[in-house]
Parts: sequence; structure tokens; C-alpha cells
Amino acid sequence: MSKSPSSQPPHGGQPAPLVLVVDDDARSARLIAQMLREDGFNVEVVLDGAQAIARLTQAPLPDVLVTDLSMPHADGNSVTVFARSQKPGLPVIFVTGYPHLATAQIGEPSPTLFTKPLAYAELKIALLRILPPRAAGTEGAGLRPIK
Amino acid sequence: MWDELKRYVRFTTADAQLIAAFGKLAAPEFPRISQEFYDRIREHEGAHAVLTGEEQVARLQRSLVRWMERLCGGIYDENYFEEHSKIGRVHVKIGLAPRYMLSAMALIRIALTQLAKERSSDPDRTKNALNRLLDLELAIMFETYQDAMSARIRNTGRLKSENDGRALARLEHLYANAVELAPVLVLGLDSSGHIRLWNHEAERVTGYARDEILGRSSDALLPEDLRGTEGARLTSIVAGPEASAEGELLTRAGKVRHVVWHAARVPVNAEDEVAMFVMGSDVTDTRAMEERTRRAEKLAAVGTLAAGLAHEIRNPLNGAQLHVAFLERAILKKGSDPQMLEAVNVVNDEIKRLANLVTEFLDFARPRPLTVSPASLVAMFTRTQAMVTSNAENANVKFACDLPSADVAFAADSARLEQVLLNLVGNAIEALEPTGGGHVTLRGRRQPRHVVIEIEDDGPGVPQAAPIYDAFYSTKKGGTGLGLAITHRIVTDHKGTIDVTSKPGRTIFRVTLPLTQTDGDDS
Repeated sequence: MSKSPSSQPPHGGQPAPLVLVVDDDARSARLIAQMLREDGFNVEVVLDGAQAIARLTQAPLPDVLVTDLSMPHADGNSVTVFARSQKPGLPVIFVTGYPHLATAQIGEPSPTLFTKPLAYAELKIALLRILPPRAAGTEGAGLRPIK
Repeated sequence: MWDELKRYVRFTTADAQLIAAFGKLAAPEFPRISQEFYDRIREHEGAHAVLTGEEQVARLQRSLVRWMERLCGGIYDENYFEEHSKIGRVHVKIGLAPRYMLSAMALIRIALTQLAKERSSDPDRTKNALNRLLDLELAIMFETYQDAMSARIRNTGRLKSENDGRALARLEHLYANAVELAPVLVLGLDSSGHIRLWNHEAERVTGYARDEILGRSSDALLPEDLRGTEGARLTSIVAGPEASAEGELLTRAGKVRHVVWHAARVPVNAEDEVAMFVMGSDVTDTRAMEERTRRAEKLAAVGTLAAGLAHEIRNPLNGAQLHVAFLERAILKKGSDPQMLEAVNVVNDEIKRLANLVTEFLDFARPRPLTVSPASLVAMFTRTQAMVTSNAENANVKFACDLPSADVAFAADSARLEQVLLNLVGNAIEALEPTGGGHVTLRGRRQPRHVVIEIEDDGPGVPQAAPIYDAFYSTKKGGTGLGLAITHRIVTDHKGTIDVTSKPGRTIFRVTLPLTQTDGDDS
């Protein structure tokens, strides 16, 4: 779970939003994290459902969850349900090779669904739409940089 | 016959003279004898039954008197014979049983011989003459009975044969019904394969009426390409040892039906007799259903396996694509090297193509339930046209929509049907591209129970018997071979059919969909 300072903070001096990336394909997950950081996001990576749930019991909670669906120990749907029990309304992006596994009853807002192979540019666009430049100090707790 | 009878009984002219003499003496006694005779008759139940009343008895008594007068008149010619035969026929007519006639004659005989004994000058000879004459009378009576009897036997025979005829007609009717109402084709062929029997189902399936097919060769029912080569299936059944076979049957409209034939041979003498009954079941629809089931089963089995594989392919593709994106970013950072960027783009495109193949394949292999809602043919055509216009222009193809005058509304999954139209129109345009362009027409027509969509192009055509609906069959460079397979699935999911007629310069894909109402089921 390495973290690096945002090189191009898109949020005008505000602390960068935290993205939690969950994927059992470690190389891909880390590469996504690296590119997202370069693009100014704060990113944490965990490698399966169990690790994700463990991480979600701790503060700070992420501003957005990017998760695979088919993973060991707990799938993306379960991770989402747990995450939203911790933080209702948490935006979720599914990145999966099995789009049909996405559950419909997973609460609002409906997760954004990307089918692998993922085009990084599209993920970035989706994140920027979900995490607009800081308008107000809503959900302040989740926005603090973590150390 | 009368003279012969007289000779046989040895009734002579002398006898006649003796009786004539006796007659004159006896005549006054005749009414008494007649009276006594009918009194005896009255006493007997069976004989009495033929009497209707006193008036009739009185008349009969007078007749008997006249009869005895004539009997003893001394003239025994043909006229006599004829007159007395009439009397006999009356007895037959009124239903007097012969046994009563016998006993009646016995009564007369006794009365007359008694009278001869009392009155005649030569009683013995007179008695003999009377006996001979009365024997002749008996002969006449029996003759009339016999005539009547043989007539009755003839009549009974006639009635019986009439009954037999009726039974036969009923039986014939029964069999004719069995043949005519049977839901199978029933044909009778003679030994040279000419049609001699043709039932209703045969008329219905083939479209040939009985009067136009009887006497023709059964070869006429075979598709032309089979006539020469296979030596005609029907006649080979007739000639060969096999009892059943499946063959193709050509209808009057030129359609080919698949029929399973069963043959039953009949021993015959004449050339034009039915030598073989051939019963056929039209299995075209069954075979089509089996083909669909077989295809579906094959797909289900292969699909499950392959879908799993396809999903797994997505993960390494994901890694590859992300790393390509990373490389692209690195190249751009270091001041873009056009060659390197181009190489990265190629890899990117190939990954996208592979990803696309996986998605299309999964679309095909994993059946999704239809989302049925009210659909508009015009709206579908309009959207399709909007999507293909630029492609058509690029390929120098003139695209035209040919719509029915009124929109056709039916229940369907519009999005998936549009995918069908896009696939088929896209294929047509792509077929025309290498030939430098042409025409593609998207045509919609409403039929009583169906909506028919045709995609016509003037391209080079589809190869005969090519497995175009099979997955991964493709003649296009870079084609996935899934377009028509998906199209086929969507059409059959809608309980529709797709067929193609193709020759160079004119290819028509025809999609026929049932016009179901929108308030039906939504699966």
C-alpha cells in the first residue's frame, strides 16, 4: 500500500481524493494505482476481498471504490455491500471480466461497470466525473490524506 | 309340359270321356262338396288364417264349384292347364302353405271318388280316371309353388347380394376414409413407379391435386437435382428391399419437404395396378426443430466451456492493455517517437479486437432473455438507416429503405432486432465493398401473421451450402464469424426464421417474425 504525493493535484490544493483499488491481479492493480497517482489521485491497493474488507474497517474510508468482481475470499459485490455499510452512498466502479456477476441489489448509486480489458483513459474520466473538483467540505472525514 | 304330364300320368282321352260322363251326374253335388270343404278349412287354424270373411268364403265356394265343373268338364287342353295354374298362383299369392293344398286335394279326391262309387256306371275306371286327373291337378299346383319358390329364392339371393353390396360399400367407405383422413401421405405406385393413388394429405403437402398427378411418374415429386443422380428415391423404394427411407419431396410451389416413407408391397398382375403403397410423413418441421435443438445443444455445451475461457482471456488482456497505456504515457513523456507510438497503437488495436471478439462470443454463447416490448418496424428501420449510412457511403453503396405503407407494430426486443438488421445490412455493404459498390435494400412487409424483413444486395452472393450461421465461419478478413450466428440466435429467440436465397448479383436474407401481440409474455 505505497503512497506517493500527487504530482498534478486536480483538486486545487485540497487533499487528493482517496481511491481504493481492489484486484487480485497485483501487477495490473499496481499499474492502475501508479497511473492514477501520476494523475493526482490518492490510491490504496488491496489484492482480494478479505483484505478489502479489513481495510474498510479502518479510517479513513475511501472516496471511491474501484473493485474487481471475481476475487478470492469475498467478491466485489460483497465488498461493495460492506463498504456501503461503513459509508452509505459510496461511489463504486466495477472492473471485471465477468460483468454479468454484478448484482442489481447493491444500493445507490448504481456502480459504474467496466469490462476488462480496461481502457485506463475511460477509468480516469469516470473517476473525475464521480469526484468533481472539491465543491464543499462534505464527507470531510474521507478526504484527509492518510499516512 | 302339360302334354308330357298327361302322358306321364297316362291320362287318356278315354279317361276324359269317363270323367265328362261322371261330371254330368255329379255336378248337382258340387255345392255341397264345396261347402263341406270350406267347413273343414274353417276348422283348421293355419288354413283359416288365410280367410278374411264370409263374403270371401262364399266367393271361394263358388270358385271351387266352378273348378270342379271344369275339372269334370272333359276338356283338358292348354287352356285348362293355364286356368288351373292361375288358381295355384292365387294360392301361392295368398300364402297358403303347400301342405294345406295337399290335404285340400285329398278332401276333394275323397269326395269325388265316393261320388263316383255311388253314381258312376263304371265306378272303378271312373275312380282311376279321377285319380289320374287329380294327380295332374297336384302336378299343376306343385308347379306353381315351385315357380313361386324359385322366384323367392332368386329374390332372397338378390336381397342378400344387395346387402352384401351395401356391406362392401360400407367397408370401402371405411377404408377410403382411413386413407383420406390419415395425416400421412398415402400413395399407390404401380410397378413402373407411376402414381395410381393419391390421398388428401398428399394433395395438401405437395399442392398437386389428384386429377393432375394420377398417372404421372413419381419422379415428378423429386427435386430436379435428385432425379438424375439418385435414381429417384420413391421408385428405388419400390424396386429395392428397404421398407422405409427418408427423402426429399418437391411441392408444386417448388419447395422441398422432407418426408419419411414407408412402403408396403402388393403382389400384382397388371402393369397399371398398385404394386406398392407408400406412406409418407412430412418431417420437415420436425427436422428443422431437431436441427435447432441440435444447434442449441451444441452451443450450450461448447458455450459453457468457451464462455469460461473467454472470461479468463479478459484478465491477461486487461494486464496487456493497461501496460500498453502505461507505455504510451511513457513514450509521450519522453517526447513522442512516432514509430514507437504507432507500434503501441497497433498493440492497443489488437487487444481491442480481441476484447471485442470475447464480448461478441459471450453474447452469442450465453443466451440472454429477450426484453420484449412494443416494437415499431419503421422506428427500427430508421435507426438502422442512421447507423449504416456513413458505412454505406464509404463503400460507395446506395442504401434504400423500402417500408410498408403503414407501420407494423409487434412485440419484440427492438434493440436485439436492430442488431440483426445492422449485422445483415453491414454484411451486405461489406460484400459490396470489394466490388466497388452497389445497392442494398432493407425491405419490410406485413403478412397476415408475420412481418417479413428482407435485406437485398446485388453483390457476389453467398456460397451454396456454406455453414453461414455456424459460429466462427467467416469469409471476411478480420471477421469474427459470429455476426450471423448471433443474428440467427436472435431471430430464433423471437420464434422467427431466417433464410437466404442467393445467386451472383442478387442475394436476399429474409427474416420472418411472428406478429405477436405486445401484451403477450415478456420472455
